Amino acid sequence: MVEKPQRFRVGDKPRDAVETEWEVFVRDEDDSPLRHAGGITAPSLEIAYEQATKLFAWYAVDIWLCPADGVARFSTHDLDDDAEPVRIETGGEDRSFE
Amino acid sequence: MISISKLLCDVGAEGDGLRYDAASETSKPQITEEKQRRPVVVWNLTKQCNLYCAHCYAAADTETADGELSTSEGKRLLDDLASYGIPVVLFSGGEPLVRDDLTELVEYAAESGIRPVLSTNGTLVTPEKARELRDAGLQYAGISVDGLRGRNDDFRGKDGAFDAALRGIRAFLDADVKTGLRYTITERNAPDLRDVVDLLYEEGVNRFCFYHLDYGGRGADISNVDLTPGEKRKAVRRLCDMTREYHDRGHDIETLLVGNYADAGFLVEYAREHEGRDAAKRVYDYLEQNGGDPTGERIADVDYQGNVHMTQFWQGYSLGNVRDRSFGDIWDDQTNPLLDRVRARDDYLTGRCAECCYRDICRGGSRLRALSAHDDPFAPDPQCYLHDDEIGIAPSFEASGD
Ligand code: SF4
Repeated sequence: MVEKPQRFRVGDKPRDAVETEWEVFVRDEDDSPLRHAGGITAPSLEIAYEQATKLFAWYAVDIWLCPADGVARFSTHDLDDDAEPVRIETGGEDRSFE
Repeated sequence: MISISKLLCDVGAEGDGLRYDAASETSKPQITEEKQRRPVVVWNLTKQCNLYCAHCYAAADTETADGELSTSEGKRLLDDLASYGIPVVLFSGGEPLVRDDLTELVEYAAESGIRPVLSTNGTLVTPEKARELRDAGLQYAGISVDGLRGRNDDFRGKDGAFDAALRGIRAFLDADVKTGLRYTITERNAPDLRDVVDLLYEEGVNRFCFYHLDYGGRGADISNVDLTPGEKRKAVRRLCDMTREYHDRGHDIETLLVGNYADAGFLVEYAREHEGRDAAKRVYDYLEQNGGDPTGERIADVDYQGNVHMTQFWQGYSLGNVRDRSFGDIWDDQTNPLLDRVRARDDYLTGRCAECCYRDICRGGSRLRALSAHDDPFAPDPQCYLHDDEIGIAPSFEASGD
C-alpha cells in the first residue's frame, strides 16, 4: 500500500523580472524520453531556442520550450506561500502495489 | 577563490575561504584533505538596489521584482538549505540591505546552523544596522568599492557612493564584524587598485578580494572594458607583488582572487619564478586540493525569484526553482545533462583547456565566459592569460607524487 501524496498547486509567481523564463525539455536520442533540463531566460522564443541550442546542441535531438507561466505545477513541496493543497476524489480506495 | 597571501606568504588568516568562490567569508580551513561536499549558496535576496553599477551580474534595478521570495518563503528555504548541509549562505542582491527583513533572515540562518555572510555596496550600513546584524549572527561583510572616489562613483552610478561605502566599512569594523573589500577589476579601475588597498588598509581593512569580470547580467554589456589577457596578467602580477611587499613590511593583509582560475596556473609560475621549484610545487598541491573553478559544484546561487543557478554569474540558465522542488533535489538531479557535463567538464573541455597542464587546478576557467565568447560552454575561456608555453609544459613535479 502506498500513501497518497499530498500535493500542492504551486503559485503562479513570475520566474523572471524582465524577460521570459522558458522551461526546457530535451530528448537525447530518437527513442529516449523527453526530460526537463532547467530553464532559460530570454526575451523571445527565438532567442530562447538559440540559447538552448548553445547549451544542448551537442547532443539533443529534440528541444522543446515552454513559457514557465504556461506550466501548472503540482508538487508535494510546499515552500511557496501561494501553494494550495489539491484534493482529488479518487473513490476512497487506497492505491496498492504488488 | 584563490588566496594569494596564503599561497605566496603562507598566511591563511582565520576565516580564509580558498575553497569558496562566493564567500571569502567562511570559517572552514582554507586547505583541507577533503573536497567540499556541499556548495556555498549565494542568495540574491532582491533585485532592488540603491545604486546602478555598470558591471552588476544580477542586472539589479531600482525597483523590486514581482515574485521575490517572501520572509516566510526565505525561512523555509533556509530550513531546506540547513537540512541539506549547506555550510554558508551569502546574502547578496541587488542590495540586500534594501530588504527590511535582512536581520531576521540572517538570524534565522545562524540559528539553523548556517554561517551567514553578506555582500553589500555598504552605502546603507549605519552603525546601528551594523550592530544589529552582528547581534543577529552575521560573520562577515564584503563591501564593494571599485576604484578611488571619482572612478567608483562613476562606475556605481551615484555621486557620494565611495564616501557612503567608506562609512559602511567603518560601521562594520566598529561593530567588530569582519569586513573585507570586494573589487571587480576592469580596464577602467585597474590603475586605482593599489591606492584603494592602501587607503582601506589605513581604515583597518586587511582583507582584499579581487574579482575578475564575468559575463553575466550587465557584466556582459561591459565585456569590452574587461582587461585584455595581457593586462589581466599584469594586474595579477601587481597584486602578487603588492601582497609580498605588504608582508615584507610586517603587514599581514589577505589578498584573494575570484573568477578566473587561470590565476591558479599563474600563481604556480609566479612562485617558481620568485621562490623556486619547491614553493611552486607546494602552491600547485594546495590548488589541486582546492579543485579549480567551482561552478556547479562548490558554489550555487538562488535568485530572488527562487531560480537555482550553477554560479551567481550564470543567471540566464536555471536548474530549477525552489518553489517547485527542494534545493537538494535540484542540486542532486543527475538527469540534468548540462549540470552533469559541467561537473564532468574535464572530459568535455576543448581547445587549449583540453591540453593544458594546469587543467586540474583550473578546470577550464569560466564556462560562462566560454559560452559568451564561443557559443559553446566547453570551449576555452577567452580570458585565460597564460602563455601557450606555460600551459603546454607539464610542471615537472606534477606526476612525481612526492
Ligand atoms: S588553458 Fe584553460 S584550463 Fe588552462 S589555465 Fe587557461 S583557462 Fe585554465
